[in-house]
Amino acid sequence: MTANPPLRVLIVEDEVLLATELEYLVTASGAEPVGHAMTSPEALDLAERLRPDLALVDVHLGDGPTGVEAARGMTDHCGAVVLFITANLKRLPSDLAGACGVMSKPYSEHQVRAALGFIEACMVNGRATCPPPQGLQLSAAYAELWNGPAAA
Amino acid sequence: MKRRELTSQTMDERVAALEAAVEARTRDLKAALDQRTALLHELDHRVKNNLQLISSLMLMQARRTADPSVRAALDGMLERLHAIATVHRRLFQTEDVERFDLSEFVRDLVADLAGSNRHPLLTFQCVLAPAEVPASRAASLALLINELVSNAMRHAFPDGRPGRILIDVRKSGEGLRIEIADDGVGMAGSPGGAQDAAAGFGLTIVDLLGRQLRACIRRETTDIGVRTVIALPPESVGVGR
Repeated sequence: MTANPPLRVLIVEDEVLLATELEYLVTASGAEPVGHAMTSPEALDLAERLRPDLALVDVHLGDGPTGVEAARGMTDHCGAVVLFITANLKRLPSDLAGACGVMSKPYSEHQVRAALGFIEACMVNGRATCPPPQGLQLSAAYAELWNGPAAA
Repeated sequence: MKRRELTSQTMDERVAALEAAVEARTRDLKAALDQRTALLHELDHRVKNNLQLISSLMLMQARRTADPSVRAALDGMLERLHAIATVHRRLFQTEDVERFDLSEFVRDLVADLAGSNRHPLLTFQCVLAPAEVPASRAASLALLINELVSNAMRHAFPDGRPGRILIDVRKSGEGLRIEIADDGVGMAGSPGGAQDAAAGFGLTIVDLLGRQLRACIRRETTDIGVRTVIALPPESVGVGR
């Protein structure tokens, strides 16, 4: 059995303390943090250059509530899977701007680890082998993609 | 005839003027309401972000410390903070910001504690009836339950022994009854020292919160472990408090 290369993760969060903590959790769950952006232009630029597998995105960034558009851009043009991690669920459109799901702040260390593990398994296998962990809400599109139309 | 037409025309004009005034007023009120809603969302967002910041700071420090007792203290505070954060997340998820379902909270709490895998051989048995309490009591009740459950996790099952924790929340008349029981080593089986001090602090919190909630708390060693029963009077969980 060959090990899969680690998931490459971009963190888009304007609070450096939270970003640092997320970087730690990403590393601890076996993935590789490849970069950190604090504004939407930075996020799009880094996503373009680094081509991460996964981007963890807050709605509120250094340049305002621009995380939603940044997420759409990274999904549409950079091939990244986006997971929102935000205290701002109410600002998210119903299709989650193409993101795979959302975790709401305040989250616990365990919730983030579990969510990262789940998403990584889904991306590797192309489908879910268990229900999403507590705290992670999948978008309708990804629930269908990973669970099959019946379960969505 | 002519006079009557005139009157009806005046009436029409008046109605139109009134409608316009009502429309303008409604617009103003809606704008004011939208602004207030936006402010409330902003505040909610800031509270959540700040809770997350405090939690991240404590996690970072807990990881850097080599002293196990400092680490245990920080972990305990993180759990308490997380209980409060869970309350806040739940409160603003629903449209009803006045009432809070304690059983839903317990479900979240247990999912998180069980999933954190500190105790792989520990199982949770939850008997949860819908138990709405006033939002103003939510944080105290959440902290109280968190304290008793994490106390059992920390002290009832030394050396990772297998066991079970029961959490039972139900209405009792107009009040509420909460039972938390374990099948661990009991109060006498605790190893003593720093562990006992931590348990002591946890139980102080339980006593203080019990006093605030005017609860009757009975804590006893049973044949199989420790059981705590909290009886909350109607005035602590009733409407309009």
